[in-house]
Amino acid sequence: MKKFFSLLLVCSILLSSFVIVFSNVNTVASASSNKYPEGTIEIYGYGQPQYFLKYYRPWLERNRDIAPKVSIDIVQTEGAADVREKLTMSYVAGAYDDLPDAFYIDPVNLVNLADGGLVQDVTDFVSSLTDKLVDNAANDATINGSIYALPESVRPQMLYYNQKIFNEYNIDPERMNTIEGYIEVGRELKEKSNGKVYLSYIDPGSRTWRYYGRRGLMPQAKAKIWDDNGYPIIDTDPGARLAFEALDTMYSEGLLLKTAIFQPALYDAVNNGEIATFYIGAFWDEFLRKNCTETLGDWRVMPAPVFKSINLRGAPVSQYIAIVDKPNAVYSGLIKKMWYDFTFDIEHKEKWVRSMVRLDAPYANPISVEMLKDEFWEEPSIFYGGQSFRKMEKIALRNGAPNLVVTAQDAEADIIISNELEKYVAGVQTIDEAIKAMGENLRNKIGKVEVIK
Amino acid sequence: MGYIKARKGNIIVYILLGVITFISLFPIIWMCIIAFKGTGESISGFNSLWINNPTLKNFKNVFEVIPILSSLYNSIFTTVMGTITTLFFCSLAGYGFAKYQFPGRDFLFYFIVATLLVPPEVGSIPLFIIMRRLHLINSLWSVIIPKAATAIGIFYMRQYIINIPTEVIESARIDGSSEFGIYLKIIVPMIKPALATWTLLTVIARWNDFFWPLIFLRSTVKHTLMVSISLLPVSDGLSTPWPVIMAGTTFAIIPVVVVYIFLQRFLKSGISAGAVKG
Amino acid sequence: MRLINTLRKHKVPYLFILPFFILFSIFQLYPIVWTVWVSLTKWNGIKQPVFIGLNNYNLLLNDYMFTDAFFNTVVYWVTGVIFIIILSLGIASLLNYNNLKGKGFFKVVTFLPNVSAAIAIGIIFSMLFDKNIGIINEVISLFGINKIGWLTTVKYSKIPVIILNIWRNTPWFTLIILSGLLNIPEEYYEAARIDGANKIQQFFKITLPNLTDILFFCFIILTVNSWKIFNESYILKGPSTSNMSLFQYMYQSGFTAFKMGYASAIGVVLIIILAIVSVVQFILMRKNSEI
Repeated sequence: MKKFFSLLLVCSILLSSFVIVFSNVNTVASASSNKYPEGTIEIYGYGQPQYFLKYYRPWLERNRDIAPKVSIDIVQTEGAADVREKLTMSYVAGAYDDLPDAFYIDPVNLVNLADGGLVQDVTDFVSSLTDKLVDNAANDATINGSIYALPESVRPQMLYYNQKIFNEYNIDPERMNTIEGYIEVGRELKEKSNGKVYLSYIDPGSRTWRYYGRRGLMPQAKAKIWDDNGYPIIDTDPGARLAFEALDTMYSEGLLLKTAIFQPALYDAVNNGEIATFYIGAFWDEFLRKNCTETLGDWRVMPAPVFKSINLRGAPVSQYIAIVDKPNAVYSGLIKKMWYDFTFDIEHKEKWVRSMVRLDAPYANPISVEMLKDEFWEEPSIFYGGQSFRKMEKIALRNGAPNLVVTAQDAEADIIISNELEKYVAGVQTIDEAIKAMGENLRNKIGKVEVIK
Repeated sequence: MGYIKARKGNIIVYILLGVITFISLFPIIWMCIIAFKGTGESISGFNSLWINNPTLKNFKNVFEVIPILSSLYNSIFTTVMGTITTLFFCSLAGYGFAKYQFPGRDFLFYFIVATLLVPPEVGSIPLFIIMRRLHLINSLWSVIIPKAATAIGIFYMRQYIINIPTEVIESARIDGSSEFGIYLKIIVPMIKPALATWTLLTVIARWNDFFWPLIFLRSTVKHTLMVSISLLPVSDGLSTPWPVIMAGTTFAIIPVVVVYIFLQRFLKSGISAGAVKG
Repeated sequence: MRLINTLRKHKVPYLFILPFFILFSIFQLYPIVWTVWVSLTKWNGIKQPVFIGLNNYNLLLNDYMFTDAFFNTVVYWVTGVIFIIILSLGIASLLNYNNLKGKGFFKVVTFLPNVSAAIAIGIIFSMLFDKNIGIINEVISLFGINKIGWLTTVKYSKIPVIILNIWRNTPWFTLIILSGLLNIPEEYYEAARIDGANKIQQFFKITLPNLTDILFFCFIILTVNSWKIFNESYILKGPSTSNMSLFQYMYQSGFTAFKMGYASAIGVVLIIILAIVSVVQFILMRKNSEI
């Protein structure tokens, strides 16, 4: 029994010392004014957040006057849904001090987190700057009239094409100005190359819906998943039909190589000159540069083709950084300041971008109108045979289609829609059956959604 | 006549074992080959089987993409602490069940066996809340403590210890040893083979543990190797080349293979112990 | 009072087994009771849960994704039990071959698949089974067979998952069965040889009957593991729900679609299935032996 009590004693001593240590930390934090307290800014990110650190860490060094002992860490997660999962879990558990200070997020997942009260309303801060930002930069972060996140990048849908292939088969890339022309070119390439050259790829998994559907053909065809009252209409909407039929034409005629995106098989096909084009977001730039070094100088870019009847270019994809609304959010001011400089400080942004280029690392065009005017953003790119990728990215944003309306149930809707599309790609149902099943399943499993905007 | 027949049998056995060995090793060796390939080298089909420009650059790149040193430390820490605690608590409980008479013993033992059938993953959301209340989120202990005493470990130890002659324990008791002293000085030395086996199986399980570290360890510096590795290829915008990913998985697999080859020499009869006799 | 007396009298063994029960109640029992409650609500994890009775279970019955996942899991279970037990029995018999040289070597290398992390090996398998550049299709085409879309067709996508499951788990069961083989006294076989029984007869008359207990144990463990299968199908994801496991569907419902109540209902169904298995186990075990 003695042993037991001594154990108990040891435990309680340990516990109380913990309490003392923690309460000390708190007093230190609140004691200093003006300057930001010692600690670490924690941000949840995805993609390649380690490259953002190469901007933020030197930034903190430059700002030691206000943040003498602040460091920054970005936690790598699998993606936006994973960020949301981690935040939700911490929030449910009431674990406010485990919540990060900020996080990168996409519109679909931001809606739920904003709706649940997890993120700071930054309307006042951002709306004072809207004039200085590219058009609609904060659009997808605006929910019921309030802005809930700082826009980090706004990138267009583009068309990448391998000029060498077009030269070889003597086809004018300008013909791909419309989706209809794009499909024509695909047929011609297939015929002239005896089936060696594919117009593009199609992913057997969920990325077909993401890149050809939600971010690509759907907004460009002015398609709708939900009607204004929140009922699913994907199976009756003419825009959705236009989008799905364009995809069906390309796939059923064998113009698309079925292979997963971001996988070596696709890169091999690119390096062997079997893939002529990519209809995808501007982010694809970095993947080509990094994985298809053999095609250096062969690629060119142009704005995404339009549907003749609609005449809208690709919808921009925005990424946001949201600040967590938690008690004692000591660094929210510092994060805003950091974001401000990342967005508007020309000198350091250019320096960072140059280092990214050297590393074959990702970067996006800035969202500051002022900064975009700088000649730096029109510099020629070696990978694109001297064409300026950055300039093209800027041009491709013009006349962009509005994005699909996002609701709180869209994460689930994506799963349901993608499942049917995947079955179509796998060849077990026709596109008509897929569209019909999408409508039915959305009605059965979700029913009516709340349209938040 | 009989000699030739035996040799024929031998050859077939060796051929079959050769095939099995090949199938067992191929994916692992293939991974190592790709890990040494230079960027831009083709990894399609049979091209993947040899290296034109061997390079160590991929391993260096892994260090740039994920914090491999801290992950390695976290993995080693959780594996070592997890193994020690599991060995202690499981053998202690196994001994309790094997060599003591007490009311409810059989019921409690059946109960433990029955819990094997309930996957704790099912309750992961509430479990997170409990971890939070215990201040264990983001602590390496969150993946060590819940598995400090496992049903299967107790089952295994009990089956082994039950074969130890009770007289040894009785005579120690007559000599005046305390109950815990008997466990420490008599039982532990006698179950060394079982402990070695269980060490091996626990090391493998802890090292490869993925689901729980993924949920409980939330900052980069606390990630274990498996969590870091899983983030190598799957991320949304991540374009890690395959040779780098394979270099990363090599980091995840090779250490535990080495530990296994080292430990298995101590096994001999360990696993054969009455463990699963019932 | 009697209870306290009993506890005091048997203090030592109770203390020895206490840690398990503490950990079990905190980290397993309580979360599961909680899960049962959540399964009766509609909850997105952020807003307050709303009680909806058995609604989630009703929805499950009409959800094709759930039935797909259920039957996929049944396939993983059946194939796992059949192939793993047969293969590990075969390999263990080979390793137990009397005048085998290099026994130690073979034992070590055939166990390696089980040592390798499922996450890492899953990534490797996804490359091996790639339709266009995977080495498996390359080998197949040597025999003049067309390339197969292992992970891109509904028809075949379960096969890589089944193979990975077998590849990784067979060694563990081989080890267990081998230990059983070593425990069969050599005299049994000698007696059989004198009676003129050939190898096959020996296997069915002596080896199998002596392994019943161990094979039964393997069956139970395989059953539990099969119903919990997650990593393999998570990494080797096929089109749509074609190879999704039940546990994976639970994870997706909870953490991708954020339907916590619905996910919990799937979890409860999993528990019920395993509970049925456990009841059957107890009945059979009581009949068979004395544990």
